[in-house]
Order: sequence, then C-alpha cells, then structure tokens
Amino acid sequence: METKSKSMSEKDYSEENSSLWKDAWTRLSNNKLALLGLVTLVFFCIIAFLAPWIAPYGYEEQNLILGASPPSYQHLLGTDIFGRDMLTRIIYGGRVSLLVGFIATSVALVIGVSWGAVAGYAGGKLDAFMMRLVDILYALPFMIFIILLMVVFGKNLLLLFFAIGAVEWLTMARIVRGQVMTLKKQEFIEAAHSMGLPKQIIIVRHIVPNAIGPIIVYATLTVPNVMLLEAFLSFLGLGIQPPESSWGLLINYGVETMEEYPWLLIFPGLALTITLFALNFLGDGLRDALDPKTSKD
Amino acid sequence: MDIKSNPQIYRLFFLILHGIYLCVLPGCENPPTNVELGNETGVLHWGNGTEPQSLDPHIATGVPEHHVISALMEGLVLKDSQTLEPTPGIAERWDISEDQLVYTFHLRSDAKWSNGDTLDAHDFVWSWWRALQPRLGNLYAYMYFPIKNARAYYNGDINDFKEVGVKAVNDLTLQVMLENPTPYFLQLLDHYSTFPVHQETVERFGSADERGTRWTYEGNMVSNGPFKLRKWTINQEIVVEKNPQYYDEKKVKLNEIVYYPIENGITEERMFRAGQLHYTNDVPIDKVETYRAANDPALRIHPYLGTYYYRINTRVPHLKDRRVRRALALTIDRESLTKNILKGGQIPAYAMTPPDTKGYFPPNKLEFNPLEAKRLMALSGYPDGKNFPETEILYNTNEGHRKVAVAIQQMWKIHLNIDIRLTNQEWKVYLDSESNGDYEISRAGWIGDYVDPNNFLDMFICGGGNNRTGWCNEDYDKLILQEAPRKKSDQNRFAIFREAEEILIDEMPVIPIYTYTSKNLVHSSLKNLNPNILNQASYKDLFLSDDIE
Repeated sequence: METKSKSMSEKDYSEENSSLWKDAWTRLSNNKLALLGLVTLVFFCIIAFLAPWIAPYGYEEQNLILGASPPSYQHLLGTDIFGRDMLTRIIYGGRVSLLVGFIATSVALVIGVSWGAVAGYAGGKLDAFMMRLVDILYALPFMIFIILLMVVFGKNLLLLFFAIGAVEWLTMARIVRGQVMTLKKQEFIEAAHSMGLPKQIIIVRHIVPNAIGPIIVYATLTVPNVMLLEAFLSFLGLGIQPPESSWGLLINYGVETMEEYPWLLIFPGLALTITLFALNFLGDGLRDALDPKTSKD
Repeated sequence: MDIKSNPQIYRLFFLILHGIYLCVLPGCENPPTNVELGNETGVLHWGNGTEPQSLDPHIATGVPEHHVISALMEGLVLKDSQTLEPTPGIAERWDISEDQLVYTFHLRSDAKWSNGDTLDAHDFVWSWWRALQPRLGNLYAYMYFPIKNARAYYNGDINDFKEVGVKAVNDLTLQVMLENPTPYFLQLLDHYSTFPVHQETVERFGSADERGTRWTYEGNMVSNGPFKLRKWTINQEIVVEKNPQYYDEKKVKLNEIVYYPIENGITEERMFRAGQLHYTNDVPIDKVETYRAANDPALRIHPYLGTYYYRINTRVPHLKDRRVRRALALTIDRESLTKNILKGGQIPAYAMTPPDTKGYFPPNKLEFNPLEAKRLMALSGYPDGKNFPETEILYNTNEGHRKVAVAIQQMWKIHLNIDIRLTNQEWKVYLDSESNGDYEISRAGWIGDYVDPNNFLDMFICGGGNNRTGWCNEDYDKLILQEAPRKKSDQNRFAIFREAEEILIDEMPVIPIYTYTSKNLVHSSLKNLNPNILNQASYKDLFLSDDIE
C-alpha cells in the first residue's frame, strides 16, 4: 500500500513535468523560423565539433607565396595574407566562438538569474545590499575587472570563458529582479505562498518560468556580445593567441584589410551573422514556447 | 516590450537623433580637419607610434621617445638632416686635438633653458655625472664609455667623478678627454643620452639618480630645445610649443607639434586619410601596396639604418645551447618573409649590422638551411623537436609584429617541429619584461643612433644596458671595447668589427631578420622633411604650407 502511493506521487510529478516540456516542444516545432534557427545552430555545432575531420586544410597551414587570394576552386572562401585557407579557419574559429558564446552566456545566465531572483523576491535590506553590489561592479571599468580575473585565474581558455561570463551577468540580474518584483505581487504567487510552499520552490517553479521571456531575449543578445568581447581580449593578448583563431578575431583582422581583401571580413562576418540570426529566431521561439501565459490558448 | 528593455536600442536611437541634429541643422558642413587647421596656425600633427616610456633623456631608450625629446632638447652638436654631418648645436664650434683624444667645445653664450636660466658647461658636467649614476639605471650609459674613465666610474672602479674626462674649463668651454680616438664621437653628442638636463628642476622632484620622478611632467619640465612641453595627456597626446628662450628661436617656424601615441597602424592610416595627421609613424603592411598602386606621393619609403631581430634570452635553460639558437636562426626564410609578408622593400638580414653602414659590410655566415638546423637540433638533444618545451615569442602590440611572428611560428613548426606561443604586451610593459629578462624570445628592433657599425655591435657587450639577452662573451668584449677603438683607420676598425660580428652570428644570442625601410605617410603641406637613413626629422626646420611645389 505504502509503496504504491509513493510510486503514484512520483508518477504524478514526472507526468506533470514532461507535459510542460512536451507542450513547449509542440509549440516550438510549430514555429518554422525557430526550428530553422535550431537546425542551423546544431549544424554549426556539429561542423565545429568535427573540424579536424572535415576541414579541407590545416588551420595553421601557410602558403606565403600564395598570400591573400580571393575565393577560388581550391580555396572556396579564399585565403588570408599567410595563404591560410579561410574556410578552415572559419570552421576552427567556430569552435572557440560557439564555446565562448554558450559557456559565458550560461555562466552569466546562472549567476544573473539566481542573483536577480533572490534579490527581487527577498526585497528589503538583502535586496538593497545585493543590488548595490551590482551597482558597484557596474561602476568598475569592466576591462580592469576582467583583467584582474585573468590574472587570478591564469591564462586558460576555459577560465577566460568563465571570466567573461562573470562580468556579463550584471544586466541580467537587474532585468530579472525587475521582473520578479512585479511578479511577486501577483495573485498566483500569493496563492502559492498561502499554500505554504517554501521560498525556493516558489522562485524556481513559479517566478523564474514567468520571467523567462526577457531572460531568453537578453541571453540571445549576450551571446554576440561575449563573442566580440573574446575577440577584443584576444587582441589585447589576454585571450587566445595565434595561430588559433575565433570568428571575432577573424573579423577584427578582416576589418583592417577590408579595402584590400574584402573576403577576409565578409565570410567570418557572415558566419557570425547567421549564428546570431539563428539564435534570435530560436530565442523568440523558445520564449513563446516556454511562456506559461501562452499555455492557456 | 522585451526589446525595449535593451538599452542598446535607445543608444542607437539617440545616436541617430544626434547625427540628424549635427548634420541637418547646421547644413551638414564638414568641420575643418586637423591638417587644415594646423596649416593655418602652424601646428604639426605627428603620429608617434606609441606612448613614450619616459621623456627623461637619461632613461628613455626608444624611437618614439627620440621624436619628442629631440624637439624638446638639444645637445652640443646637431646633425644635418640630409647628410647627417655634425653641425653646431649648443656648442658653436669645437677643436679636436691632433691625437683625436681631446675635444674642446665652445658653447654659445646665448644658450638658455626654457625658464630663462643660462645654460653653461657646468650643466653638461652635472648632466653627464647624472647619466653615469648606476642607480639611475640608464640603459644607454655605455654611450659615454668612449670618454676617459667613464666606464670605470660607471662600474664603480673609480669613485671620484673628477677623474672622468669631462671638465668645464670655464662657463663656456667644455673639455672632453677620450679613452681612444673615436671617429663617431661627435655623432654621440646628438643622441638624447648625452643631452643636458636642468639640475634645479631634476632635484626639485627627487634626487638626481632617482627614476621616474615628476620632473618630466607637464608644467614641471624645463628643457633647452626649440620646443618646450606644454601638455602631456597619457595615451592621448603630447603637445610641445615653441620655446621663446631658444637661441635660434627666429628660425623655428612651427608653433606647436602634437604627438599622437597611436599603436594601431590601421587607425593611424585612417586618421591620415581623414586629415587628422600630417605624418604617420608607419604604414600598415597591407596598405603599402594600395598606396603604391595609386602612385600616391604621400607614401615615402626610404632605406633605414635599423635591424629587425629576435632576442633570445640565453638564461632560459633550453635556449642556453648555442646550437638551438643557431637552428632557430637557420630556419627563418627571410626571403619569403620580406617578399610575401612585409612587401615594403625590406632587405633580408643575415647579420646584426645593416650592410653598407658607413661602408662596412658584415660577414656572411648565416643562411636559410633547414637541414643543418635539424642536424643541430638533434645534436642538442631535440631530434625532430622532441621534448622541446613550448617557447614564447613576446612582441609589443602591433599588427606588423604579429604578422612576422605568425609566419616565423609556422616556419619553426614546419622545419623544427617545435611549438611556439605568441604573447603581446603594451610597449612599456614589453620594455620592462625585456630588460628584466622576463621572456624567452622577444621581438626587437635596433635603429641606428649614429652611423657606425659600433652602434649595432657594442650593445652586446657583457651586461650592456641594451643587451638584455644575458649573453656574455669575453672575446667579443675584448674586440669591441679594446681592439676596435685603438685602430686608427676605418678599414682596420671594420676588420675587427667583422671578427666580432662573426662571434655574434656564431653564438646567435640574437636572430637578425630584416633590415628596415622607413615607411611613412607625409602630407603634402609638410615641407623640409628630408629623408635620411636615421629617419630623424629636424623639427626646427620643418614648416607647413599649402603651396604646391
């Protein structure tokens, strides 16, 4: 008897959970653009992952005599001034850029959402304290902050990603806090409260899902930011170093010679733009799909 | 609603509005550019490459520093901007004794400091005493070593400065006794390391031998050149204005010079095109061809007495081995590098001294030879690059240096199968890392201070301030310090230099890569800028004019 009831409650829980995600998935798969975005992203990730096997040349393979050449049959996207194949470099650059995009954004997301949600929900002195801390961090020139982090962490690629994430969460925290403050006054939260649910559950199960829209939109905006930030840090000698590359760095170098060798700017720029479009479409779709308010229709 | 929470949209909106306001309301007129304004008011806008490390002539070591200091100060002697022959500076004439060991300088009586104080022979004695204080850490102290007992005094073997061969006979007569006849001695006196500094000012901001005091800051600095310091905003600009106390003040045509520390050559080139600069410090590699194709007269490429090379820190365990250093040098394909990457007429360098320096040709003991390099690597215990630790190339942040490093990184990877890491640092940090020995391999360039092979060779004496490689060879020191200076004729002297340079190339504490060319963009309104192999401008002769010649 007792065992049965336990399994019953487990089942209830999992059923309810799966249906939420299932609903979301159904809604998402009806959104053609969002699906297209998802497919593009997955495609890029697979290519980046498989880079050593599918890239036509080595990413550091130079051909000084060839130099910078426009797209041709041998080099589909042309070569840079060292005669290195651009297609290969864009594929390899995608590894760094996609990784930094996702890792740093996740870090920013986790810190920002939890910080903002807690501050917004707790209110009062705790809120004031937490948000003043955010203000102080805002006021710090973020380059100095990130350089300090790099000095403490050392020069490690993964840690660089975390360091970038660790400075990008501030705006996220503010947005989430604002959302939470409006949400927590609403009836359904009061209802949850009166039913005696613990605070953590209310935040995680009721408040954050309702604030998911702005969070996702801001997260998709953070991705390009961190990709370009990585390029900037690398340019200063704090990030990745040649011969490795990332889209941001390729674009940086491409800009310098855009009058002489436009293809060095156009192709990495396209790669980044397509990724960002895909992310935005997917983000839009996810927001619609995950927003509990739309589930009534 | 969600989109509005993004502050960037607001910013963009604001920018557009601002643009409309700026553009539409006053009728979208272009404001006059720096160059147009400068031509009217006599203000020269000069791209200076990077923020100077210091404006103290006894501390600075770089070329960007040279540009500013040579506008602010003047030594005993000047150089003719075309022939580079010594011409009178603070000394209006000089006598040289028969045996070429005693120089007597007669100072001009109207020489003054920018605060109105008179400048006399005692100022020089005091300044040179200061420059030789070991605690000051003057990396150019060895420029004084031709002077009698200067080396011994600097090394602490003599404690009394009176024994050093510098004497103020009276207020206007300075007598200098040399260790050996030194044919290039007069040229040294136009180098900032021998410039006088104002004693009272230096001592007001710290003791004489203290580094980095505030005496060179805006408002504090007192100098004796055609210009004086008006404004120094770190990383933005250095402004010098005409010095009314200068003895030749009437000849100085410019009212001000603004030096911009622009490290990024691409930015600099854009500023030049936008009329923000009269002169650029460099031309980006990829732009040279564009300017050349357009036959643009602004592009000026001239031979430049300078060597681009890599320093090897011989204190690093795996770089201690002479054979490893040689292997590294043998696997740089200099022909390909200069032809395909640099494309600015640079000459591959196989020795430290540029060929035909005052008629001197260096020995030919280096080539591109990967096979020999592989053999040397195997001999020193790294067959096919096995177990060779990842090694770092350090360079100061600059596009051109990065390109050279990327190409060399790959050459070493292909021919020696070793891994190289590239690290870049800002100019001042890079100079510090280099002189503290905190590097493995570092990019370096040496631009001639005067035209003599000695200038390229005497920096590698044991513990020389600009050696920085930890390399020390007694035979080499003996040749450079004792044998060469005793030779009376250039021919005999050069034979000794060739012998010394053979040791240098054999030991390879430095890897010569190419001989520089100077590449600048010069606006047509800047007149009287004569090309010379030191690429030094005589600021007091420059003037601005819109006339087409």
